[in-house]
Amino acid sequence: MRGFYIVGGYPDREQFKKCLNAVAAAGFEFIEVGIPFSEPVADGPVIASAIHEAVMNGVDIEAIMSDVREMKQKSPSIKATVMTYANIIHGYGEKKFSDDFGDILSGVIIPDLPTRMHSWMTDKGLSIPIIPFVTPVSRDEDIEAVKDTKAPFVYYISIMGVTGSDKKGAVNNKADIAKKLTSKPVVTGFGIRTKEDAERALNATGGFVIGTEVVKRQKDFSEFCKYIEQFR
Amino acid sequence: MDKKMFFGEYGGQFVPETLIPALDELEFWYNKLKKDDKFKAELDTLLRSYAGRPTPVYKAENLSRELGCELYLKREDLMHTGAHKVNNTLGQALVTKYMGKNRVIAETGAGQHGVASATAAALFGMECTVFMGEVDARRQEPNVKRMELLGAEVVRVQDGQRTLKDATNAALREWVASVETTHYIIGSIVGPYPFPEMVAYFQSVIGIEANAQCKELGFDPDCVVACVGGGSNAIGIFQGFLDNQKIEIFGVEAGGVSDKDGEHARTIGMGKPGILHGAFSYLVQTPQFQVADVHSISAGLDYPGIGPAHAALNDSGRVKYGYVRDDEALNAFKMLTRKEGIIPALESSHALAYVIENKEQFKGKKVLVNLSGRGDKDMAAILERGLI
Repeated sequence: MRGFYIVGGYPDREQFKKCLNAVAAAGFEFIEVGIPFSEPVADGPVIASAIHEAVMNGVDIEAIMSDVREMKQKSPSIKATVMTYANIIHGYGEKKFSDDFGDILSGVIIPDLPTRMHSWMTDKGLSIPIIPFVTPVSRDEDIEAVKDTKAPFVYYISIMGVTGSDKKGAVNNKADIAKKLTSKPVVTGFGIRTKEDAERALNATGGFVIGTEVVKRQKDFSEFCKYIEQFR
Repeated sequence: MDKKMFFGEYGGQFVPETLIPALDELEFWYNKLKKDDKFKAELDTLLRSYAGRPTPVYKAENLSRELGCELYLKREDLMHTGAHKVNNTLGQALVTKYMGKNRVIAETGAGQHGVASATAAALFGMECTVFMGEVDARRQEPNVKRMELLGAEVVRVQDGQRTLKDATNAALREWVASVETTHYIIGSIVGPYPFPEMVAYFQSVIGIEANAQCKELGFDPDCVVACVGGGSNAIGIFQGFLDNQKIEIFGVEAGGVSDKDGEHARTIGMGKPGILHGAFSYLVQTPQFQVADVHSISAGLDYPGIGPAHAALNDSGRVKYGYVRDDEALNAFKMLTRKEGIIPALESSHALAYVIENKEQFKGKKVLVNLSGRGDKDMAAILERGLI
């Protein structure tokens, strides 16, 4: 599974729509759309500063999601996911979020909602599958806990750090264990930059997602297209 | 989901998955050590011989006359490093030692928690990095110097509003990257479980001590008052009195200059439940669920969130949460300085200001105010701005 993360509504609605549709049209398997939150604690400087800019300009959840809906109508085969922090979904309402967008989303990625807190949101009516995380420090019981996930994939955070970190990915078998246990693809994220990184992740875990390098180019559409093109 | 992580419906562990093993490790050690006699004796000795416990309860006669009540001050301002913060940092540094980690990080607003962390780190021979918003670093410059003198690295955070919230974001990011060797000494009863419970435990010494001291003086207070940012000094003193339903308890938030957006830090008064820095609690937020800008003259109260224990105490009605404005806090600062010869921190001035502004309500009553810190750190900013 090949996927890209882009910041919703950034740098403006038109440019976001172009980037969103470019990823879909290029035939990648999934897109991760960020709904900006003012406290992006899991994000490194590049994504955090894009998010801050988006927040300063005003975040319109309905507008972002209506652009995702339009994209899904044109490219129904791509899986759409939303990446946002817990306060956004809780504030919008777990049930309302599910009712309004459940039909177009394959999953939600909530970086400040660890597996053990999933039921806090599902009990409040979040019915869209929550994509679980596995990390280099996950213990057996942590991976066991995601065994029955209904999400389309498991998200493997390959480094100890924030998005866009230049640390080397950890070499251990956590992703393999997760893959076997869940029989779901495992998508490696955080720190994937080059075609080589991506191929390594595809071979090792069955998927990758790139954020920082894409967000960096979200303001320059031709650079954006050129960058994602190499992963086709 | 485990109920133990919550105060009523507030609390939880809203953090990246990467931190979960470290939080479990911390919970394990905290639960083990708080029952461990050797640990408790070690901490008690430090608090007494190094940090200056017990702090006195002082009857402020001059102000009492002025206000028409009996005003007692719990003198946490006399603690080593100038505030209650060191109760917690010594406790957590000792936990860090038992966990076998040799580096600590901390966030700071007013700089008091940063100084207290740097102090504990120096004492225990640990590496220390403190994250401080650029705006706070400027308004509390003496504390930056103190931290650096103590051997800590001070990172001036340039994100967002460049205050306590942003410093906390930066500390959390750093912790995710270094969690295997580093302990994060959170400075208030905020953050993911077990931090709110653990910090409250280390601060409970204030209330337990104050309760015993009042009894020794032959009374129970009618009212207990403390300022609330994240809420550690408040929960510290409240814990000594919550069980006695006859005692009225007040938490005082920073009212800033007005109730307009961005001009106050009234988390309970103006916020609604939301998720920030690992916990579900009250939160000042925009209609679009973004964390809102806040303002207070006092860097330690300039925070859009509040500890989950306070959210629960508010909802249950056990504690009343009010506010005072910047100028009222300044007035209290001046009054205590001139009438009693005690220069209070701007944070603690809020608690005192609440009693001054509502003196009719407190008339004839025995009022215990937690004087959580001293005001040396604030003098430069106050004089520079010509506020007094």
